[in-house]
Amino acid sequence: MIELKNVTKTFHQKDRIVSALSDVSLKVPQGKVFGVIGTSGAGKSTLIRCVNLLERPTSGEIIVDGKALMWLSDSELAIERRQIGMIFQHFNLLSSRTVFENVAFPLELVGASKNEIKTRVLELLELVGLVEKANDYPASLSGGQKQRVAIARTLANNPKVLLCDEATSALDPATTRSILNLLKDINKRLNITVLLITHQMEVVKSICDEVAVISHGKLIEQGSVGEIFADPKHELTREFISSSLHIEIPSVYQEKLQKEDNGNLNPLLKLEMTGKSVNEPVISEVSRLFDTDFKIVSAQMDQAGEVNFGVMLLELSGKRENYNAAIQYFNSKHIKTEILGYV
Amino acid sequence: MSDSLIDLLLKGTWETIVMTFVSGFFGFLLGLPTGILLFLTRKNQILEQPILNRTVSVLVNVFRSIPFIILIVWMIPFTRAIVGTSIGVSAALVPLSIGAAPFIARLVENSLLSLPSGLIEAARALGATPLQIVYKVLLPEALPSLINAATITLITLIGYSAMGGAVGAGGLGQVGYQYGYIGYDAVTMNSVLALLVLLVFLIQFVGDALSKRFDHR
Repeated sequence: MIELKNVTKTFHQKDRIVSALSDVSLKVPQGKVFGVIGTSGAGKSTLIRCVNLLERPTSGEIIVDGKALMWLSDSELAIERRQIGMIFQHFNLLSSRTVFENVAFPLELVGASKNEIKTRVLELLELVGLVEKANDYPASLSGGQKQRVAIARTLANNPKVLLCDEATSALDPATTRSILNLLKDINKRLNITVLLITHQMEVVKSICDEVAVISHGKLIEQGSVGEIFADPKHELTREFISSSLHIEIPSVYQEKLQKEDNGNLNPLLKLEMTGKSVNEPVISEVSRLFDTDFKIVSAQMDQAGEVNFGVMLLELSGKRENYNAAIQYFNSKHIKTEILGYV
Repeated sequence: MSDSLIDLLLKGTWETIVMTFVSGFFGFLLGLPTGILLFLTRKNQILEQPILNRTVSVLVNVFRSIPFIILIVWMIPFTRAIVGTSIGVSAALVPLSIGAAPFIARLVENSLLSLPSGLIEAARALGATPLQIVYKVLLPEALPSLINAATITLITLIGYSAMGGAVGAGGLGQVGYQYGYIGYDAVTMNSVLALLVLLVFLIQFVGDALSKRFDHR
């Protein structure tokens, strides 16, 4: 649906040339959600703005829905852009227009009749759950509501593709989740292909089918979300994954944590499950096989695609002589195990 | 105060109001498109045209640097060609409009520059043409600050029109000049002053109220 072939973008700054994108190629299949993740300044914003030619690449090809956009005239491009929805980090709503009028904006551009506009706008406001705000001005809305208006506005022309430029970066976690759910819903229900850029692994994890990692204007890794989480090749990718998982020893445990076992303390284990870990109920297996008990102190488990991954802190007790065997069993199932101390 | 003086002041006030608003109107007719052009042809804007932008910019600067009183005199042949005379209210309208236009152009350009750039970007992404961006995005979004620009312009024009009075343009300026400069008449002088101040206050008040009325930010 969206295809970028060897896209390169350079900027001239005073007397030096800055390369924002170098030889970027990617393919987003119809109906999928594709995420590009990168730190700020990695070129992801330039990348997404190249897709609808808000930024014209220096070289390369951009094909959306079978049309090579680089070769279109300005007026053909304006028409083609109506097929490509876009939402932004700062929403970019028109402050002089009410919610209703903002959603009506793209319909006015194509010369829709008053009646058509009214039906369509109400339908869209229904979809994003803001019918009762129709006559309010954007200034009185919360961030999440503004993004919903922006989504309704961009869907007005029935786009085939939706570009999301850091669409949740200015929102709090709860609102982020609700906007992501809405995007996923739109993707599923309206069969719209989504390309999003973000610096938050949570976004990728929760809605993307495929992901690419961008660094210094190059795509350094791409694949299905499951694959990437299962087996990240690049250090930066690993950092992004671990940044979405963090676990700390609770202070109560921290205080009584001993470095050495004095013979009657229980080990505190940290288990790391990655995509390689076997998808089996390993903990209860170990418990049964080695006559040991586990107390879950803290855990953060998640699912990305088919892959279950996360971190867990466990207090181990039971048959002391089997502790080592239990740990080895975890390791044999590709669960990285570490003894943090004894409690 | 004698009836004749009241008549004189009323006539002067009316003429000042006519000169201010009519030349303000024509000034905007010239200045608004010029300001939009200056904005759109800037670097990184949707109709980037460096040469055109620089040419218009220089022209605007030239006209802004001519002192108004000189502009009136300099424009006499042109004024005569357009309105057939070089004295009176209608003759003053020509240099007033021409004098105000470049000033308005800069104010308009600045109003548009202060809009968040994301708005144009979003409109482009939604498939808006440059013309649609101007009249559906730029002008409505900048309306509160354009009203402020109009307020500033009209107040400046009151001052300019009084200057015009010195060269026979009519209005409160001429009344003040004649009765003040030639045989100092304190009552007339101060009445003119009070009326000018009152006009300025009124315009500022209405302008502020309108700008606030259209500001939904």
